[in-house]
Amino acid sequence: MDHLAHVSNQPNSQPQSQISHLALDIGGSLIKLVYFCRYDDNCRDDDELRSQNESLGSESDNSRPVLGGKLHFAKFETSKINDCLEFIHSMKLHLGGFHDCTAPSSDKIFIKATGGGAYKFADLFKEKLGVSLDKEDEMECLVTGANFLLKAVHQEAFTYLDGQKEFAQIDPNDLYPYLLVNIGSGVSMIKVDGDGKFERVSGTSLGGGTFWGLGRLLTKCKNFDELLELSHQGNNRVIDMLVGDIYGGTDYAKIGLSATTIASSFGKAISDNKGLVDYKPEDISRSLLRMISNNIGQISYLNALRFGLKRIFFAGFFIRGHAYTMDTISVAVNFWSKGEAEAMFLRHEGFLGALGAFMSYEKQCLDGLTVNKIPQRFPISVSSAGNKIYCSMNGKSNDNESIECTVYRT
Amino acid sequence: MAGLNGDPFLGIDDNIEKLQYNNNSKEAIDKEGLVVGIGEDSSNNKNNNQGGEKDMAGNSIHRSGSRPQLDLSKAEIQGNSEERDPTILLPNQTDDISHLALDIGGSLIKLVYFSRHEDQSVDDKRKKIVKERLGISNGNRRNFPVLGGRLHFVKFETSKLNECLDFISSKQLHRGGIDSHHWNSEAPANENAVIKATGGGAYKFADLFKERLGVSIDKEDEMDCLVAGANFLLKAIRHEAFTHMEGHKEFVQIDHNDLFPYLLVNIGSGVSIIKVDGDGKFQRVSGTNVGGGTYWGLGRLLTKCNNFDELLELSQRGDNRTIDMLVGDIYGGMDYSKIGLSASTIASSFGKAISDKKELQDYRPEDISLSLLRMISYNIGQISYLNALRFGLKRIFFGGFFIRGHAYTMDTISFAVHFWSKGEAQAMFLRHEGFLGAVGAFMSYQKHGLDDLMVHHLVERFPMGAPYTGGKIHGPPLGDLNEKISWMEKFVLKGTEITAPVPMAPPGTTGLGGFEVPSSRGATLRSDASALNVGVLHLVPTLEVFPLLADPKMYEPNTIDLSDHKELEYWFTVLSGHLPDLVDKAVASEGGTDDAKRRGDAFARAFSAHLARLMEEPAAYGKLGLANLLELREECLREFQFLDAYRSIKQRENEASLAVLPDLLLELDHMDEETRLLTLIEGVLAANIFDWGSRACVDFYHKGTIIEIYRMSRNKMQRPWRVDDFDLFKERMLGSEGKKPRPHKRALLFVDNSGADIVLGMLPLARELLRRGTEVVLVANSLPALNDVTAMEVPDIVAEAAKHCDILRRAAEAGGLLVDAMNNNSLDGSRGNSSSVPLMVVENGCGSPCIDLRQVSSELAAAAKHADLVILEGMGRALHTNFNARFKCEALKLAMVKNQRLAEKLIKGKIYDCVCRYEPAT
Repeated sequence: MDHLAHVSNQPNSQPQSQISHLALDIGGSLIKLVYFCRYDDNCRDDDELRSQNESLGSESDNSRPVLGGKLHFAKFETSKINDCLEFIHSMKLHLGGFHDCTAPSSDKIFIKATGGGAYKFADLFKEKLGVSLDKEDEMECLVTGANFLLKAVHQEAFTYLDGQKEFAQIDPNDLYPYLLVNIGSGVSMIKVDGDGKFERVSGTSLGGGTFWGLGRLLTKCKNFDELLELSHQGNNRVIDMLVGDIYGGTDYAKIGLSATTIASSFGKAISDNKGLVDYKPEDISRSLLRMISNNIGQISYLNALRFGLKRIFFAGFFIRGHAYTMDTISVAVNFWSKGEAEAMFLRHEGFLGALGAFMSYEKQCLDGLTVNKIPQRFPISVSSAGNKIYCSMNGKSNDNESIECTVYRT
Repeated sequence: MAGLNGDPFLGIDDNIEKLQYNNNSKEAIDKEGLVVGIGEDSSNNKNNNQGGEKDMAGNSIHRSGSRPQLDLSKAEIQGNSEERDPTILLPNQTDDISHLALDIGGSLIKLVYFSRHEDQSVDDKRKKIVKERLGISNGNRRNFPVLGGRLHFVKFETSKLNECLDFISSKQLHRGGIDSHHWNSEAPANENAVIKATGGGAYKFADLFKERLGVSIDKEDEMDCLVAGANFLLKAIRHEAFTHMEGHKEFVQIDHNDLFPYLLVNIGSGVSIIKVDGDGKFQRVSGTNVGGGTYWGLGRLLTKCNNFDELLELSQRGDNRTIDMLVGDIYGGMDYSKIGLSASTIASSFGKAISDKKELQDYRPEDISLSLLRMISYNIGQISYLNALRFGLKRIFFGGFFIRGHAYTMDTISFAVHFWSKGEAQAMFLRHEGFLGAVGAFMSYQKHGLDDLMVHHLVERFPMGAPYTGGKIHGPPLGDLNEKISWMEKFVLKGTEITAPVPMAPPGTTGLGGFEVPSSRGATLRSDASALNVGVLHLVPTLEVFPLLADPKMYEPNTIDLSDHKELEYWFTVLSGHLPDLVDKAVASEGGTDDAKRRGDAFARAFSAHLARLMEEPAAYGKLGLANLLELREECLREFQFLDAYRSIKQRENEASLAVLPDLLLELDHMDEETRLLTLIEGVLAANIFDWGSRACVDFYHKGTIIEIYRMSRNKMQRPWRVDDFDLFKERMLGSEGKKPRPHKRALLFVDNSGADIVLGMLPLARELLRRGTEVVLVANSLPALNDVTAMEVPDIVAEAAKHCDILRRAAEAGGLLVDAMNNNSLDGSRGNSSSVPLMVVENGCGSPCIDLRQVSSELAAAAKHADLVILEGMGRALHTNFNARFKCEALKLAMVKNQRLAEKLIKGKIYDCVCRYEPAT
């Protein structure tokens, strides 16, 4: 809530934006926005851009006008879609869509959107903003977004184990194949073999929605971040049945289970005569988080194993840079793979779909945008409100999680 | 006291017990009343302090020897080894012998315990003679024979550990059970007593067991036990594994030689996933902490349910769509068909609880329970499949107490496995799912000789109490028959709504795509149905596969498959209609006393309850065939101590028939060979009309004397019969064109009813075979079933018939049936008798009107060795079962069809049509 409010304050803090382009990812619980704002003063000259393009092997038309600017990221709860509409309206982001080239007479404006809500809320957007949503396939957007980030953004991927964050150097030529695990309300597991080449191989319904949904019912927390924050102070041993609880404090060493291994999540809630009120919300949140993170890590690993994939990238809004979540997922992958596979995370984890939708403008014949894939120069913040509190993700957090980049106007 | 003619050889019939109510056991009556009942029946309780213990130390080890941890070294038989039930000295046996093994899990304690068959061997000369004739000697089949007995399955909640300890204590299980003084009556409390146990609680509660029961817990590794238990059950129990898709249960025949490798998924509080490669060869390859404990734990927090079963029951009425976020919710009601997700696929479990303004109390507990159940079952199915895939395993067996036979849980897991494997892998479930660990712990006792136990050694029974509480205990055990009857009375009062037959709705189909709501949810299956799948396993080590079966693996005894619901409904009606008459007969057979009436009522209730239960879930007790249903009725009668409901009727009819036998034989002897053979076969068919199992025939009996009906019936035999291979048979017997074929060496005649059927039908046929130099073995039931003649009764009938017939007399003497006569003759030194081929009688090992040839007595198996002709007679043995059976030797199947429906179904004929099917050896 707090960071959302913060995002929606942005119109005031960014009065300099002139041209805006917008793409949306409307999920089951969150709406993710990616929009581009041009700098007032073009801080870079074309030469620099050109050289960068060449070095990256991207084909660019020198004749096209170049716009410098920033990609901005924002999110809203899907249930508060009106806030989102208002935000878009106030930022005039919807005016930066494109016109259908096949029907030049039409003055329809299209905005790229993905996620289930692109279907569900299409009418609402038309009514409130007068724009049509051009629906892009969800998986395709996820993959496009991930591929873009992994190839173009320096220090996008990192590992996180035992509180140690380490950026991974990804060679763009040796990126594929990999497993992309997108943890939104539910979880999709996608095997990515190249640009536009992918397959959704698995998924699970135990995802972010489960954490939040069950968490709300069990703790009365008002939002996801509050729940996550609670988990930080919790002790899951109060509520989980550990191997030691069953074996009277001893390990079951024969099969490699230590006394502190969770044998059964929430298993202690069975035998006690305690009711819900007797458990601390912190402990419940912690237990829930471990259950879900662990499960996702395990299923992801099993799918990676199945296809012989060494790299697993976790993304989606469930993670939101939360240290403990990442730690649990990493431990699960590490444990089940006996160290063979590695969990990796993306700094723009929540915005893959939206970014992918944004990238899809490129494919349109008219009035589209091309995001120039330049290495990041400035530290970006992937922060959300939660991050600032207990994640040492990036010391110098900026107020908005933007990627500096340029776009070409065709 | 009626109880003594039960047959110890079989051990099926050990409900026999003193009827006197024992005051000492009064305190064991459940004060709370209703919910008592355990997976066992009454006979192994100690309530006999009035000298009622039938055979204690004296004749303890009858053709059998060991139970767990018997030290057999230097064992010797005291006295003459020919003596019946010789006492075996076990000089090196010191420890108490435990009959108990435990699996103490985080939420439930599972017990497996063994009770011996009471060995009330009557002085049965017939058997001894049969043994001599057939060359069966004691103990030549096994190095140390296994004792017959029963395996019981019981469970307790771990939080109610004290109830469990009380139960063990009341049954003296920690001292080797009530019957342990067979071995060590002088040493009741041995400090070395050890109980095998597994599960975490084996560590946690070891001290408590020592303190309360004075026994040490010998801890067995949990995974070892799970695997040993699963391997044992999959090998030893015929209908152990089944699939469960969309509410449809189907038993899977597992080939023992093709069992490994498989994936075993044990869902307890947590989940263990084990790859099993062989006996004792396995690896825990995975697991998940989202298991039964999670379901129950979260469920308790969210719904305030007090126990697992309540929570499960709630789920049946739930609608998870109110709380789960479906693909349709995200996509505005549309499918995301591109990746194969339908609108009703769960995108996010509990995902709707996010965006709504609702609080916990605004959600129905039913919906929460269902959503939880689906989340966890689906997850387990998915992880299991991924592991199976990893190791290339096609079969996944799910066990553990989370499942507890709950249809919806199984459907969800099956669906997940099916969905993710695209139909390549199959989820299978085990009927004894919760008891794998406990069985494995039991198996870990050394030297109990159960390791090589085969399917045919085990018979599963479903006594009252066991099926209705699923082995769950909330109070003291049912002490004796009286308590059981009381319990039945209360149970029926309380549980009429449970036992009332419910119409079965055809299962709806689930859609494609994501995980739809499986159809067995809701009314089709009731939660009380869930736990009733475990009966008592009777270990009858003397049972064998009938050696003359052409293909034992493919053999299926039942001709009528009751999985067809219409068929089941029909037989349900038939059996229900027959019930009042049967109760009257049964009560009369016990003298019509008040006690008999009370037992009769209890029997009627119990059997009706079984029927209702089976109507509701035909596969509740394993694969159901008509034979099983008929046997269940007999078992149920025996359970309430009606040992032979038709005894007096049988006697009367035998006498009446024997009286007219000489006339018949005279008539036959005046015929030429060909006419005689036809008349004999006609006679068998005609006499088969005397059948109390057939309502149509019962009405006849008031219309004339036996011989009148017999003659009338025979005269109506118009060839060709509906199935008529007589000419083939005649050619085999008499040859053609003057060529005399060689007579059969030995014929096995499976006889059916008492009275005219055996006396006027089968005996004359036997006589004809004997006359031709063929040895004849009459194969009769071990235990009474309707008016079927038993192996105990046949020798008397033969002896009576022999008085009027020289052929029969000499053959019976040669077969040792006329014991007294033979003794006299041998005193005389007469040798003239030995010139005849013998007529013998063996028991078949059954107590049912039908016969399952996979499980026959060892004496029948021995008798079959030299047989080259099998004659099956009567509906039960030749039509209901074995109509399609193929034999290594020649077979003749003779029956009159006394049921319109069966006639239509089987031979497209009418009631009273006849079947004479002759099949050469295959």
